Amino acid sequence: MTAPLLEVRDLHRHYTGREGFWSRRTRTVAAVNGVSFTIDEGETLGLVGESGCGKSTLARTLLFLEPPTAGHVLFRGQELNRETTADLRRRAQIVFQDPYTSLPPRMRIGRILAEPFLIHRIGDRADIPDRVSDLLRDVGLNPDVARVLPHELSGGQRQRVGIARALAVQPSLIVADEAVSSLDVSVQAQILNLLKDLQARHRLAYLFISHDLGVVKNMSHRIAVMYLGKIVELADAEELYNRPLHPYTRALLAAVPSVARTGDSRIKPAGEPPDPAQPPPGCTFHPRCPLAQPRCRVDPPELHEWLRGRVASCHFALSDIPPGETSGAAPQGAAEIERS
Amino acid sequence: MSDALPAVEAAAPAPARRGRFTVRALARRRAAVIGSTGLVLIAGLAVFAPWVAPHDPAAQDLGNILAPPFWDSAGSWEHALGTDALGRDTASRLIHGARNSLMISFAAMLIGSLLGLAAGIVSGFFGGKVDTATMRLGEIQLAFPFILLAIAILGVIPGRTPLHLILVLGIPGWIVYARVVRSRVLAERERDHVRAAAALGARRSRQLFRYVLPSVWQVVPVIAMLDIGFLVIMESMLSFLGLGLPPRFPSWGAMLAEGRRNMVISPWLSILPGLAIMLTVLSVNLTADGLADVFDPKLRKGTFRRTVLRLPERAEPDTANDHGAATRRAAAPPQRSVEAGARHAPAASGSALLRVRDLKVEFPLPGRTIKAVRGVSFDLGRGETLGIVGESGSGKSVTALSIGQLLDSPGRVTGGQILFDGQDLTRISDRAMAALRGRRIAMIFQNPTASLSPVFSIGFQMREAIRRHGRLHREEASRIAHDSLWAVGIGDPDRVLGQYPFQLSGGMNQRVMIAMAMAARPDLLIADEPTTALDVTTQAQILERLRDLVQAEGTSLIFITHDIALVAEHADRVVVMYAGQICESGPTEQVISEPRHPYTRALLESVPRPDLPAGVRLEAIPGELPDPASIPDGCPFAPRCPHVMDVCRTVNPDQFPVAPDHRAACHLWSPDRTRAGTP
Repeated sequence: MTAPLLEVRDLHRHYTGREGFWSRRTRTVAAVNGVSFTIDEGETLGLVGESGCGKSTLARTLLFLEPPTAGHVLFRGQELNRETTADLRRRAQIVFQDPYTSLPPRMRIGRILAEPFLIHRIGDRADIPDRVSDLLRDVGLNPDVARVLPHELSGGQRQRVGIARALAVQPSLIVADEAVSSLDVSVQAQILNLLKDLQARHRLAYLFISHDLGVVKNMSHRIAVMYLGKIVELADAEELYNRPLHPYTRALLAAVPSVARTGDSRIKPAGEPPDPAQPPPGCTFHPRCPLAQPRCRVDPPELHEWLRGRVASCHFALSDIPPGETSGAAPQGAAEIERS
Repeated sequence: MSDALPAVEAAAPAPARRGRFTVRALARRRAAVIGSTGLVLIAGLAVFAPWVAPHDPAAQDLGNILAPPFWDSAGSWEHALGTDALGRDTASRLIHGARNSLMISFAAMLIGSLLGLAAGIVSGFFGGKVDTATMRLGEIQLAFPFILLAIAILGVIPGRTPLHLILVLGIPGWIVYARVVRSRVLAERERDHVRAAAALGARRSRQLFRYVLPSVWQVVPVIAMLDIGFLVIMESMLSFLGLGLPPRFPSWGAMLAEGRRNMVISPWLSILPGLAIMLTVLSVNLTADGLADVFDPKLRKGTFRRTVLRLPERAEPDTANDHGAATRRAAAPPQRSVEAGARHAPAASGSALLRVRDLKVEFPLPGRTIKAVRGVSFDLGRGETLGIVGESGSGKSVTALSIGQLLDSPGRVTGGQILFDGQDLTRISDRAMAALRGRRIAMIFQNPTASLSPVFSIGFQMREAIRRHGRLHREEASRIAHDSLWAVGIGDPDRVLGQYPFQLSGGMNQRVMIAMAMAARPDLLIADEPTTALDVTTQAQILERLRDLVQAEGTSLIFITHDIALVAEHADRVVVMYAGQICESGPTEQVISEPRHPYTRALLESVPRPDLPAGVRLEAIPGELPDPASIPDGCPFAPRCPHVMDVCRTVNPDQFPVAPDHRAACHLWSPDRTRAGTP
């Protein structure tokens, strides 16, 4: 049996800060709170969740852009630590959300794309312009773009440059952190298609992070759903959409606006995600969950394989939602949790 | 459109370069020009002092002491500005004083800025204990009076030289630079492009020098300029106190001190050096202002202001007579579009609450004009929800803002009418508009936290808004605030009323904004991307509440969004915009299920819907959105359209009817064209 391309085992990333300016008490936010998954060569794992669920922290932590608090990251079976990250920098790359801040504003495109070759001393210096041209063509840009500054390009073009920069070191994994979220729909579709083409051409694996379920489903082979620092469900993309197990996944799916809605089998979670610094006891989703039982308030569920290849962390993953019941216990009041 | 590679795009060369040092940008500020001219003159005198000065500044002419300047009847051109008590030429001493003063200030500035830049970078980039130590040291130094320190040090040094003065003046200045540089580095270091460099394996030094520093150093010249002004004063002050340069060097401060003794008989001896100091510092400060503008494009463009601009007000208020208005405006250029607008109006236009006719909005910028809205016409019935959908640059938000007369400067309505209940909003007074806004027309925006004041409680802000519109008592206003919060789904209004916007999530703040807008029971609510910044689950909750509210109150709603699926779920009618124009409009269900305009069709197909099978290739629209400053002739969608014909590139299509109450601006639907099957 060969090892998967990337294996993440029980990864944690906690932030500790003082409670207030004068306070001596500290509080810890578990932005990533025990996450495990694998990605195979050439596979796309989608990671979906709402703002503050820890998906971007997870991306940065598994690339060692931030040190993990605990846990293991294995690349082709080899454990990574802070000392061995130099190797990781050539095997895994990241594409960011905002094409306006992800490129250095005062560097010409050609220089931006030459940087990876210079940093890793790849090839001859004289060959760099040719390599840059190849990269630009690979992402569907005219090689002349090398001469301009980032602000002279449109958002879509910049995002292509960001992708080209990630491709320069010929990585086997690209983490796409909301890579198409700030693009217009018509341009977003181009970039999604480009990412698929590149995957086929270079046998890339993606960790594709987004809050948009439509985009994630379009891109992914498997999908992980994240809530409050934990993966609450992981399944094959099609199966996840056909039969979501975790009530949070069901709620997310029901909330996606659609031009082709069939029926109105919506379940809506009441209120908003809780403060990650003070997660509710038991199952962290229980205050918003339409299926919540007394047990959920005390007993945190583990990820459990409910169906073949389907894991979800819910005590009642196979229960149907009773008809008429559309939201959590209290109408709003109790569940409306503010950040304070 | 199934080719493996997207079409190779040409790089769009943009003429305007932001943040670049340009002479034009500096010249825009006349004060800066005056200041820098003065500074160049003074610096020129200082540099060429030995050649410019008419006399040796130290040469004594004891037979000609305290000679008056040339304008005095006893004055002569031999000593144009007179002589001092030792018969030395004042003009020459002033010129050499400039040389000494500026040289010392400049050298001190260099030392301070270099030290400060280094300290700020190290402190900001590496953080931790280094940062704490550096900043504490700076704070201690700032707490100690600088002049006292300088006097103490210079007072005990035997045989002062200019170098001593430079070091004493220069070194303490580091903290000013260090603080600003540090905060810029802290901000810059968290940018994604620096993270990307880290992910590429760039060493810390490379990240610092290649990525962080290029965006940070620009703050230094501005501070340095201001610093020079401060140093000129400090140097003069020390010289005045006798702690500056040794007496053999002429100095403005020392001249001032010496002149004081002969204040009564020769006042110019103290007035002239005082004037020199003042003019130098003034020139320096004006130049610094100009530099700040050059390096901070935000200050220069001034687009962050929100102002109200409108067409010239009419002499006599026009009372609900829109026919009159239409005829009077008929002389204005675009008759065709006015007709098109009239044709667009549904049969029961008499009952429409809002009728927008051929609206045009432009943003004149230096060198180019952005035509953001180019002839938009639509009607909104009472109690109807109209969805306006489009991508960035389509003009959807500008259309909404011009209805509320809230266009960003320098945007202005350049044509058309906005008839709200028969009143043309493009031509009413500020006062009349203010009376409408909030009371009959309410708006909510994408970023609710920015729309609320951070320093007042939710309750205070809501009560104020409600009382302003209804002239109610405090208790009555409180009750309405409470009820309207309840109505938007806030379970415990009393607690929320006592809280501040920063204590609430974005979703809660948007609920508050909706409650505030609806509390006045407006006839028209304009919601500009109200849920774009929110999570999907929150979005679903809020939009459902909003829909229930406007239905219950009979409010007309204009719902602006980039998400065609949201429009599909919430709007009765939909308007699809592209490049400042309407390309399709009609009943939502019909437009969504039978889109007629190729753009609408493409937009629907390019959305990755969750109900599509995983991994399908999307039908992407090739090319880029048009640059709003240079929209091509003809149909704006022609360059990206799969059905493009020759006529599309030259003639901008009218709104052609394609079904009852359903129009598309596409030549495929032109009545002149024999329709050989649908496109």
